Amino acid sequence: MSEITDARPTQHGKPIEHGDPVVVIIGSGAGGGTMAHELATNGVRCVVLEAGPFLQREDYVNDEWEAFSQMAWLDMRTTSGSWRIARDFPNLPAWIVKAVGGTTTHWSGATPRFMAHEFKALSTYGPVEGANLLDWPITLADLEPYYDRAEKAIGSTHRHGRPPLPANNNYKVFANGAERVGYKYYATGPYGTNAEPYDGRPASIQDGFNFQGDKSGAKWSIAVREIPRALETGNVDLRPQCHAVRITHDPAGKVDAVEYLDADGALHRQAARVVCVAGNSIETARLLLMSDSPLHPDGLANSSSGQVGRNYMRHLTGSAYARFDEPVRMYRGETMAGIIADEASHNPARGFVGGFYMETLSLGPAFLASFVEPGSWGREFTQLLEAYRNTAGMWIVGEDMPQASNRVTLNTDVKDQHGLPVPNVHFDDHPNDAAMRRYAYRAADELYRAVGARGVHHTPPYPATHNLGTCRMAERPEDGPLDAWGQAHDVPGLFVSDGSVMTTGGAANPTLTIVALAMRQADHVVDLLRRDEL
Amino acid sequence: MSQRHEADRRGAKDPDDIKRDTSAAVAGEPAQLTERQRAILVRLLRAAYPHDSFPDGPYERTADAVIAATADDQRLARTLGPDLDQLDVIAGGDFCSVDEQTVTHWLREYSEEPYFRAIRGIAVVALYDDHEVWELLGYEGPSVDQGGYLHRGFDDLDWLPDPRIEEYDGEPRPDIITSDTQGADA
Ligand SMILES: Cc1cc2nc3c(=O)[nH]c(=O)nc-3n(C[C@H](O)[C@H](O)[C@H](O)COP(=O)(O)OP(=O)(O)OC[C@H]3O[C@@H](n4cnc5c(N)ncnc54)[C@H](O)[C@@H]3O)c2cc1C
Repeated sequence: MSEITDARPTQHGKPIEHGDPVVVIIGSGAGGGTMAHELATNGVRCVVLEAGPFLQREDYVNDEWEAFSQMAWLDMRTTSGSWRIARDFPNLPAWIVKAVGGTTTHWSGATPRFMAHEFKALSTYGPVEGANLLDWPITLADLEPYYDRAEKAIGSTHRHGRPPLPANNNYKVFANGAERVGYKYYATGPYGTNAEPYDGRPASIQDGFNFQGDKSGAKWSIAVREIPRALETGNVDLRPQCHAVRITHDPAGKVDAVEYLDADGALHRQAARVVCVAGNSIETARLLLMSDSPLHPDGLANSSSGQVGRNYMRHLTGSAYARFDEPVRMYRGETMAGIIADEASHNPARGFVGGFYMETLSLGPAFLASFVEPGSWGREFTQLLEAYRNTAGMWIVGEDMPQASNRVTLNTDVKDQHGLPVPNVHFDDHPNDAAMRRYAYRAADELYRAVGARGVHHTPPYPATHNLGTCRMAERPEDGPLDAWGQAHDVPGLFVSDGSVMTTGGAANPTLTIVALAMRQADHVVDLLRRDEL
Repeated sequence: MSQRHEADRRGAKDPDDIKRDTSAAVAGEPAQLTERQRAILVRLLRAAYPHDSFPDGPYERTADAVIAATADDQRLARTLGPDLDQLDVIAGGDFCSVDEQTVTHWLREYSEEPYFRAIRGIAVVALYDDHEVWELLGYEGPSVDQGGYLHRGFDDLDWLPDPRIEEYDGEPRPDIITSDTQGADA
């Protein structure tokens, strides 16, 4: 790698000197963007390093593949294990965003909370063979006040006086099916897109594009809310297209700087008093593993537990697409404004532990063709697309089991565009995941048959949109790299602020919880800084 | 093509590469196919993705996308032409005049062959991203310039009753259901 240069990369907000030891946040997504906003509005100065560009509303495009090329994380990655992804999408284990705002630019908006028992997976479910279950070091009660704040920040419908979104066509099929099979806990939310103007943003125009960034502005994302407000405080120096490559520490072991490459590949060093890593589970683990040192030969923060990169979770997912005699036109309207929570309960009589949500889902023909049955061709395949107009879709999202062998490691045989080892993601389904998915597909079949489906296609999990657990919080240092605040047990001043902190994954879509955890962590960091304990 | 260029600059993948392992691929010039080889490719694509209502245009454009994408993978660029020639040999002369059923039968045997997998990985993206295909399938695409679908039918489904949109206001859902709690309910 090249020499460290002092020249400044392009930045937004108020410049901060490279030698000024401030809080350095790596990644500007759900976790990192929330940290930046919370710290800056509390008077704490921070540098935000973001690998991707600063895209604004006018840059977004209403076109699935064009938008994907524009903002997806497409740096080389490799895969291994028995999951279908390793065969169908060998270099795309995850579907996430590389841009200011991170994957909230792509996200759809479902915001269920975790349930109390999901923070106590080991004591509720008991030991599950092959699963590395653990209770979280915090409880629902610890997070409740932050859930309230996060829901207000996001503007979740059905919460704190926010009205529900109306029923779109896909939801009409979904909710009628739910009612007919006896489900009760269905609604068009909670969902992070405005049904009426709120917080300076307009109401939904049901444009059908939100996985592509939302041009209308009705959808909450870090890029439209937290980032501009953080920049306004004058306490933030945001550096897009700056890729962190190493976190360093002083001889005593406390973090002291972050080295990063700018858009032209020049290497810089930003002094740091505190470092918050929020690169989304795969990159967070990779960065810690690349930051090995004589004190941490197996990767930073990995000495006591050896768990950095392990327990990678991607949620049990799957989709069901049902064909009807009549038109549905699922693509019109808010993509995921439909949630059924009846199956989210933990009910071991179903043959598995944990639970799952069902949520409306729609893809355009371009994405549907790629994901509906990867590798498939011939008439069985084309009939799925021929039925496009008359198709309704849902996504299944449930708790998957953490396994020590599901793991992010450095693949030193393959290098990325910077010459750095790429992350390899190894994954095998746990039998509990497989049992839950089978049950969930049957439940989807019954729901759609109840409203007259001609056939229901079961789509396997696509590249992971939810990436969790590679740096988990644990009471004891030997069980996980982070403490109950997300600070590394072994490295003073090092925090992890994204979905990788999750001890177990719960059934709920993770973003509300990531935001709430980051708000809680930020309060703690502000407090420690005020008391001069960092 | 500007997207592709941008992706190359970043050393990253292109959408039409996502189904292939290109971690060891070498970039270079695209395959130089003869007219005949291209015609075979078009026929192969129609057999792999048969839609009776589709004209030739989308399949032709998809064939060109496959050829262009070989620039990212020199192994594929070298083998594509000869692999297509082979289909004429199998057909005893003219692959393009063989009926769909027979072609499908042959292709089944080659389903896991790297060249056919690679062609599918690229073609499935290119074909269904074609705007003429969107129209044929009844997809209306971008809507934001027209005010979304808010006043253009986002809720026009009329063959089912209008469902509740609020959350259920009866008993809250139990988070945990065990044989004990079920017994208590009964
Ligand atoms: C299509 C789609 C739909 C979704 N829908 C929902 C939903 O309905 N509900 C829900 O709860 N969740 C949803 N999600 C998931 C949600 O977007 C993620 O859970 C969330 O954004 C993760 O937050 P994060 O902070 O962990 O990472 P991200 O938001 O991904 O942010 C990580 C950021 O770090 C940057 N970065 C990484 N490495 C480095 C580095 N070395 N240096 C500098 N920067 C770096 C990345 O470029 C990125 O911007 C969806 C995701 C997708 C893709």
